[in-house]
Amino acid sequence: MRKLLKYFNGYKIEALCAPFFKIIEAIFELFVPFVVAAIIDKGIPSGDKGYITAMCGVLVLLGAVGLTSTLAAQYFAAKSAVGFATSLRQALFDHIQSLGFAEIDRTGTSTLITRLTSDLNQVQTGVNLTLRLLMRSPFIVFGAMIMAFTIDVQAALVFVVVIPLLSVVVFGIMLACIPLYSKVQARLDKVLSITRENLTGARVIRAFCKEDEETAEFTSRNEALTRIQQFVGRISAIMNPVTVVIVNLGIIALIYIGALKVETGLLTQGMVIALYNYMSQILVELVKLANLIINITKSLACAKRIEKVLEITPEMADGTITKGNDSSEYIAEYKNVSFKYPDASADSLENISFILKRGENVGIIGSTGCGKSTLVNLLPRFYDTTEGEVLVDGVNVKDYSQVALRDKIGFVMQKTVLFKGSIKDNLRWGKEDATEEEMIKALTQAQAIDFVTAKPEGLDYKIEQNARNLSGGQAQRLSIARALVKRPEILVLDDSSSALDYATDAKLRASIRELDYSPAVLVVSQRVASVMHCDKIIVLEDGLMAGMGTHDELLKSCEEYREIYDSQIKS
Amino acid sequence: MSKQKANLSTALRVILLLKRYLPLIILSVILAAASVILSLYVPVLFGEAIDNIISKGKVNFEIIGKTLVTAAIISAASAIASWLMTTINNRITFLTVRDIRDMAFKKIERLPLKYIDSYATGELTSRVISDVDQFADGLLLGFSQFFTGIVTIVTTLAFMFTISWKITLVAVILTPLSLFVARFISQSTYNLFKKQSEIRGEQTALIDEMIGNQKVVLAYNYVDDSRDRFLKINAELEKTSRKAIFLSSLVNPSTRFVNAIVYAAVGLMGALSVVSGTVTVGSLSAILNYANQYTKPFNEISGVITELANALACASRMFELLDAEVEPSDDGNKELNEISGNVELKNVSFSYVPERKLIEGFNLKVTPGQRIAIVGPTGCGKTTLINLLMRFYDVTSGEILVEGNDIKDITRESLRRGYGMVLQETWLKSGTIKDNICMGKPNATEEEIIAAAKATHAHSFIKRLPHGYDTVIGEEGGNLSQGQKQLLCITRVMLCQPPMLILDEATSSIDTKTEIRVQRAFEKLMKGKTSFVVAHRLSTIMTADVILVMRDGNIIEQGSHQELMEKGGFYSELYNSQFKH
Repeated sequence: MRKLLKYFNGYKIEALCAPFFKIIEAIFELFVPFVVAAIIDKGIPSGDKGYITAMCGVLVLLGAVGLTSTLAAQYFAAKSAVGFATSLRQALFDHIQSLGFAEIDRTGTSTLITRLTSDLNQVQTGVNLTLRLLMRSPFIVFGAMIMAFTIDVQAALVFVVVIPLLSVVVFGIMLACIPLYSKVQARLDKVLSITRENLTGARVIRAFCKEDEETAEFTSRNEALTRIQQFVGRISAIMNPVTVVIVNLGIIALIYIGALKVETGLLTQGMVIALYNYMSQILVELVKLANLIINITKSLACAKRIEKVLEITPEMADGTITKGNDSSEYIAEYKNVSFKYPDASADSLENISFILKRGENVGIIGSTGCGKSTLVNLLPRFYDTTEGEVLVDGVNVKDYSQVALRDKIGFVMQKTVLFKGSIKDNLRWGKEDATEEEMIKALTQAQAIDFVTAKPEGLDYKIEQNARNLSGGQAQRLSIARALVKRPEILVLDDSSSALDYATDAKLRASIRELDYSPAVLVVSQRVASVMHCDKIIVLEDGLMAGMGTHDELLKSCEEYREIYDSQIKS
Repeated sequence: MSKQKANLSTALRVILLLKRYLPLIILSVILAAASVILSLYVPVLFGEAIDNIISKGKVNFEIIGKTLVTAAIISAASAIASWLMTTINNRITFLTVRDIRDMAFKKIERLPLKYIDSYATGELTSRVISDVDQFADGLLLGFSQFFTGIVTIVTTLAFMFTISWKITLVAVILTPLSLFVARFISQSTYNLFKKQSEIRGEQTALIDEMIGNQKVVLAYNYVDDSRDRFLKINAELEKTSRKAIFLSSLVNPSTRFVNAIVYAAVGLMGALSVVSGTVTVGSLSAILNYANQYTKPFNEISGVITELANALACASRMFELLDAEVEPSDDGNKELNEISGNVELKNVSFSYVPERKLIEGFNLKVTPGQRIAIVGPTGCGKTTLINLLMRFYDVTSGEILVEGNDIKDITRESLRRGYGMVLQETWLKSGTIKDNICMGKPNATEEEIIAAAKATHAHSFIKRLPHGYDTVIGEEGGNLSQGQKQLLCITRVMLCQPPMLILDEATSSIDTKTEIRVQRAFEKLMKGKTSFVVAHRLSTIMTADVILVMRDGNIIEQGSHQELMEKGGFYSELYNSQFKH
């Protein structure tokens, strides 16, 4: 948490003001029983109506002052908590965006998203509550005790006994319930999972006639859930009655001690009532405090998780070169490249070398998990090679500024991703200032123009999140168009026609071969048909290069290639 | 109006559900009344005790002692009653909820697939889980707070009236003020909160997109743009959140202030009454105590009412599921035990919705051991036929015969046992590998299981898993690859050796080697069995006895490969575009 404190910058004064004003309010609240005691001890016996009215006026005044200072406290708390959360959120977002592929793989995007959303909101709530309440509740509890001491030391001893006793009960029961609640949640999850399973697997379950067995399983899980719910319910139900009894016993003791003292003239009736009132105030505040502490614990856990993300340092250092060596013969070259994913036991790529000439089409084929995607991911430096080097325009990719390097490359990923917004917005990812003609041209080349023009809105057609309103094939073609708008020097197609039917795929391949700026193309695919017409095909098998050459050469020389070919084409 | 009526009928049904717990409910109500009344009587006793502490030398210890002992006993009695009440309420609620969940699940097992298919899984799940949960919360709150709240208000007023009607009147008139203040503030914050959640929603969407797809963001050098977008939305959120949080945090202090005013007014009236001798000091302290408590149930009850309205909404969604019509009963249908694989479709018509006709007047006769391939472009409705054969859906007209029996006349169980089904979406249940393989034959021996797994080439990967056949796989198959899952699904059927098969070849990317294995496993499985195959692979199609060509839900061509090629129709077009290069 300490490292996060710097995000209070700019709100430090507010963050200190909030508890300060809260304490002022609490002080005024603690005066109330004193005023009441004065009414009873002075106003009533003397029958001084003026005095009584004045004192009641004081009560209202205390309330008003209390209100004013709370308003101030709430304002400062809200301002600093929200301000803190906002700067932390921005910092976290920026930090996550500075991470590279390796760090994202390790952490997982869904985790990162949770950190930015629910964890951060919980932290904001926690900070807000802490600023507002953490000082107030203990202050009132101990304030009441101190006030009791000012009235009578012996009576105050009742507070000394009651407060720890109440704390033990309140905190004890809450602490006992926390693990039980997570047990309830776990059992509820089990009920949830069998329900979901029976919906998603309805066909299979019925095909195997498992309905009765599943019902029996559900009933037993449901029963287990009910049992633990009742158990937790019984325990948490203890808290209220027991605490009330403790407070009442405290009051009884106070009244009795008070009676003894009044008898000897050490206390007045009003003082006894004041003691009674202080005792009543304690319980509410203790319960609030216990709830607050649970909340703060949760927030601290969230804060810790956020901190962990902020501690991740991107391991890739950016280079400075912005321009390649134009006179270099090859646009890209892999030199003895090996790559191992962190924590993996074996290399994903081993000693791969090949060259990509300007304008050349190179296909990469192999079964899943053989390292095809990894191989092309090294080109835009999504990952750093473990050994060997990757050169683009004769310069090691590690020496390029990443922005400059990636500007040269149009990369179409395996998983199609489009963003919420118009088709235009999406195409502008490739080229910020692309004109409409450029977009249409790219769409035509990507075989996407037909369905785009078929939409009444054309280029302004709004794509929903996750491209829900497009078919898989349409989305895939748009993502190809996005790369083509760039007119990249190197085009990488990472298994990016998987959702297209064969005919469209064939047309797409033809149109890419005919691009007027003739980029070098790297095509990754599992389909022989997608790569067989390439100038050169690289066959990967378990991270090793099993063969390289043209289709005909490989059919003759490479067994792995022939096997793939046989399974797909020749039947 | 009609919504109110619907609410009313939902409420009535909830009451009916609770009927069997009537004795417990009555007991709970009695305990609630007892605990509240007793607990409210305690301050009165304290007041009496204080009245006997007047000043030096004027303390009546006898009465004080008696009163205090009574107070202790009553306080304890109230506590016990309150604990019992809560426990009973828990019991009623949780048992009711358990019963509802059981009913709902049994319902799900018997719903027509049509119903299940027409809802998103998440939606139906949430009816069984979160709707029922919220309903329980509402019910519990209703039981524990609604009734005690009312009793508290009534008893407090009664006690106060017995002490002094004038002071009570002041309290009664002034207290609603705090309710007004609370309502006023929460109304004005409502819009702010709505706006906040809108902005938050937008922000989450942006986060989802940019962080969720960070690899694309990096590949297209979009980091700066996305940062700017986030900055903007973040600033907007800050502004709205600050206002919303500040305003909403005013409720508590404002009502506290109103309560302070009430307290002062009651104090003033009370003290003046003490001076004029109509009220004792002890009563004043009791009344002051009440004045503070009296407002609490009002706030609680208004909270309970919103909660109850929400619970009713959940209950009505729940009932909707419970009311759904189940599949027509099997009772009295014939048990079909000897199946050799004769299947006949006679003049079958089918459509999911009446407006859109799909299959019409379709005829097909299949003899044991024949292979029927179903082909067509993606999304042409190839699974419709599976739905009809397995009787997941009933034909609209015509009949499907197995061994000469209309499948509507035989039990679903015996029909389905006759088929082995491997679908493209490989569904595995969470449990061990073994559990999954023996799904169709729970009493299979270890040897049989291993033999089946060897036959499908699944054995080699299973034995390499951390706990072999006892490895637990999570929901949706956990860490297994698509191909491995497929192999398990085939093994599952291999173990049962049913006479008829329904297979759906996967189009999704399986690596070549596993694919070859899956292929071989399929071949082995199909040997000598009547099989219906949704086919993507040329080899499967070419070796089929009959090819059914589907397009837009219709079966448009039917025949062998040779016949269909000669015909030069849609099939030959498909064949040429897909398989020739």
